[in-house]
Amino acid sequence: MIISAPFRENNPRLRAIGFIIASGFLVLLIKLWTVQVMHGKSYDSKQEAQSLRRIRIPAARGEIIDRNGVVLANNRPSYDIAIYLDQLGVSKKTNIVSVAQTNLVTMSTALGMPVTITDTDILTHYEQRGPLPFPVWRDLRPEQVAAFAERASNLPGADLIVMPVRRYPQGSLAAHLLGYVGRADESDEDEIEKFYYYQPDRIGRQGVEKACDEYLRGSPGGRTIRVNPAGLLAEDLGEKGAEQGGRVTLTIDVRLQRIVEKELAAAPSSDGKKLSGAVVLLDVRTGEVLAMASLPSFDPNIFNPGTPVQTVNAVLNDPQHPMLNRATGARYPPGSTFKPITLLAGLASGAISPQDIVTCSGSLVIGNWQKHPFHCWNLTGHGPLDAYTAIKESCDVWFYEEGMKTGVDAITKMAGEFGLGQPTGFDIGTETRGLVPTPAWKQEQQGVKWWEGDTAQLSIGQSYLLVTPLQMACVAATFANRGTSLHPYVVKRIETADGQVVHEGQPDVRAHLNATPQQIEVVRHAMLGAVEDTGGTARPAAVKGLSVAGKTGTAQYKVAGKELPANRAWFIGFAPYDQPQVAISVLIEAAGNGSHTAAGVASAIFAQIFGKGGEGSGPSEHGVYED
Amino acid sequence: MKIKYYIDLVRRMDWLLFSAMVALAVASVLFIYSASYHGPGQPIKNLYEMQTIWFAVGLLVYLAVSLVDYRLICQWATIWYVVAIGLLVLVLATGRTIDGARRWLFGIQPAETAKLATLLTVSYYLFHHTLQTRRELKTVWVTVAMLGIPFVLIMLEPDLGSALVLIPMCFALMFVAGVRVKHLVLAAILGIVLAGVGLPIMWKLKEKRTGHPSYQKNRLTVFFHPDDPLTLTGAGWNLNQSKIAVGSGGMTGKGYLQGTQNLLGYLPRHVTPDDFLFSVIAEEEGFAGSLVVIGLYAALLFSGLRIAANARDRLGMLLATGVVVMLFFHVFINVGMTIGLMPVTGLPLPLLSYGGSFVLASMTALGLLQNVWIHRRIY
Repeated sequence: MIISAPFRENNPRLRAIGFIIASGFLVLLIKLWTVQVMHGKSYDSKQEAQSLRRIRIPAARGEIIDRNGVVLANNRPSYDIAIYLDQLGVSKKTNIVSVAQTNLVTMSTALGMPVTITDTDILTHYEQRGPLPFPVWRDLRPEQVAAFAERASNLPGADLIVMPVRRYPQGSLAAHLLGYVGRADESDEDEIEKFYYYQPDRIGRQGVEKACDEYLRGSPGGRTIRVNPAGLLAEDLGEKGAEQGGRVTLTIDVRLQRIVEKELAAAPSSDGKKLSGAVVLLDVRTGEVLAMASLPSFDPNIFNPGTPVQTVNAVLNDPQHPMLNRATGARYPPGSTFKPITLLAGLASGAISPQDIVTCSGSLVIGNWQKHPFHCWNLTGHGPLDAYTAIKESCDVWFYEEGMKTGVDAITKMAGEFGLGQPTGFDIGTETRGLVPTPAWKQEQQGVKWWEGDTAQLSIGQSYLLVTPLQMACVAATFANRGTSLHPYVVKRIETADGQVVHEGQPDVRAHLNATPQQIEVVRHAMLGAVEDTGGTARPAAVKGLSVAGKTGTAQYKVAGKELPANRAWFIGFAPYDQPQVAISVLIEAAGNGSHTAAGVASAIFAQIFGKGGEGSGPSEHGVYED
Repeated sequence: MKIKYYIDLVRRMDWLLFSAMVALAVASVLFIYSASYHGPGQPIKNLYEMQTIWFAVGLLVYLAVSLVDYRLICQWATIWYVVAIGLLVLVLATGRTIDGARRWLFGIQPAETAKLATLLTVSYYLFHHTLQTRRELKTVWVTVAMLGIPFVLIMLEPDLGSALVLIPMCFALMFVAGVRVKHLVLAAILGIVLAGVGLPIMWKLKEKRTGHPSYQKNRLTVFFHPDDPLTLTGAGWNLNQSKIAVGSGGMTGKGYLQGTQNLLGYLPRHVTPDDFLFSVIAEEEGFAGSLVVIGLYAALLFSGLRIAANARDRLGMLLATGVVVMLFFHVFINVGMTIGLMPVTGLPLPLLSYGGSFVLASMTALGLLQNVWIHRRIY
């Protein structure tokens, strides 16, 4: 009726106007239909894409405890003051920095804390994490929190946020084993695509933190928000909580660890620097690491956000490398602690007998080197000795002779059976494999033929031989176990947050030595003699009321062709002799009293863990020094 | 019996026209409120209250304009015209510059009064010609001159949209008045050539003077190159966000006060209540809402055309046609703009958009329509 009305008068020009208007409306409706109904979905997703954001919420990291449940790593709250850019009245991208800085200055004067945030920090936060709180002052002390709380109402846009921070309640105790956490450098591509604002997890950087990272990390949650055109928070749409990470139980015992670290640190050093060294204490029956210490150490708590950069750099750039785990990551020549292996190699190959007598005159000429004879550490000579005495007194000449008789192949084969020159299979990873030199290796690396002198050097643990303290602890444990070698491990159990066990550390036999029990017993007995007998070179390791077997060693090493003033001191051993429970290796990079220092450390440790009284007779009593 | 006379007049009103107007006014207040709503707890600008007051004032003007015989009003056409031109000159001379344009005089936009004055004057001029003289070319030139003066003055403010409205309105008036199509086409071609040469020169001059590109040119660039990444941030932001708002409304919309594009401020806050009110409606009420709005305008404009067809004389017919075309132009440009069919010109939506001047102008124009209907010849 309405539309037909203009046509009643039959005014064709008015009708034309009506037609144009009708077409105009039709065009609008068709276009509206296309935009709203046909393409509505695509505009809807465009709308979501520009205003919906998913934020990843990192999970709380699981805790690490020792075998008795003592906490080694957990989380503590860090109270941070953060500003919310959306509440500061920031309207345009261009004034973000100036508005934020003005507010920061106001807060800074009110709270009496200096502003350490730069313009670049603000812009970076705005561009990468716009609607999230921007932490300005981290990890406040209680009085600072109180000061903020009093003034909070006058500081719009600022809020106290609580962030979990990794805490190592024992400080530097077992720091190298535990490792530390840091911010992830590279993130999972898939996750980045899923979450617009990616708050990365703290990831494990070393030790257990790194090796068990996937269990400790837990699974992240997410939060969906709407943002306004400036990219700032407008509305919260919902949240899915993060799942806490699992709990890792270690085989170490905090009590033993503390004893080990204390005794190692107390050892006298020869160069006046902080003591560098390592101790590994194994349960020989299982392969469990009861304690593992490396000095100098560091406090893993410094890697938390909020620590001054200088503090962190001081540790990272320390020329003594406190971050290095010397127990697994550094290689040393084993020196005389290798002699039990040489002896067993000779016995097992049948080339020598325990009754072989060699007369030590203090030196031995090998090949055409009349002018440069091979010396024994005892330059006046030991006189005639058999295998037992050779180990006990650590005679070099005996081992030159018998080692050459045994031959390089049998010695390197036996070293391999003990696990030298290869990873021990330690469950938390990065260890250096060390080196057992062979004629083929020397030819290839140095282009020089292997000769008898090399075999003689190898026999006393010199030459090119390199081992880690962990490997030598395993050697001691293998002797303790009468030839059975176990993989060492430190992770006893891994449970999820709800208590489900996902991993249980088990004793795992690596190998059995190719030697008869009688042959092994010869060596073991000689090692007992080295500690227990009068005149034994490892006498300082003795403990009253405990039968300790062991072997000391002092290793020379050269840096840039120059002999260092102090030698590296070793002790390896196990106790009690009859039914061994623990094996130990002690390494000190620059020991004050040579190998006796290392043996003394072992003695003190054994005495305390077995609850025995005083230490064994001191070294001065006998005045025996070993090379 | 003056009172009885006026009551009689009121009873002869076109109630469909009136109802559609009231419905649009109610929708206007509701959605200006929604456009000002930025979430719970956020302060709401009192624009919707202001608009209500404008409607109240407008209703008085509407009644006054519709009851005084339009022939009487048109006898004063010359005066209206001179006053309107005077106001345009005054605004150019004294008006304060807001957002780069001088459009405001005592809270009123003289461009709106000029639209109405030009409508009255041209209608009156064309009405006074015989059938024969209307077919002469001279009529076209005189009309073009009459529209040309306010056109140029409004362009100088500048307010391209309002100036452009005058052209289809006057051409429609000449067309229904019986001017030869041949002459109209000639004038149109001339106009297009003039614009093709004139506008770029004007933009060039402006760029030289102000040092930055003319925003009119920008808007046209945006319109013709919608996919240019540049347009998504600067001048094209509004267009892009408006399309997203309208499109994401879907069939039934997101619900009243639930339009996220508006809530979050993706639709530019300072222009949404006037220029992009349709986007808010389309987002919150969907295609259904769009259909109702277009339907109300159709009811309004086709009532207008019926009134034109039933006018007692040619003057009434011309007035009614002019009002219809003027309002239609606004609706088409504004709605077209929100969905990328037309370039962004800032022409408001009659009755719905926020703004006193245009509410009053629209209601005056609708009053004129009502007037022509009330004073139609009754058989």
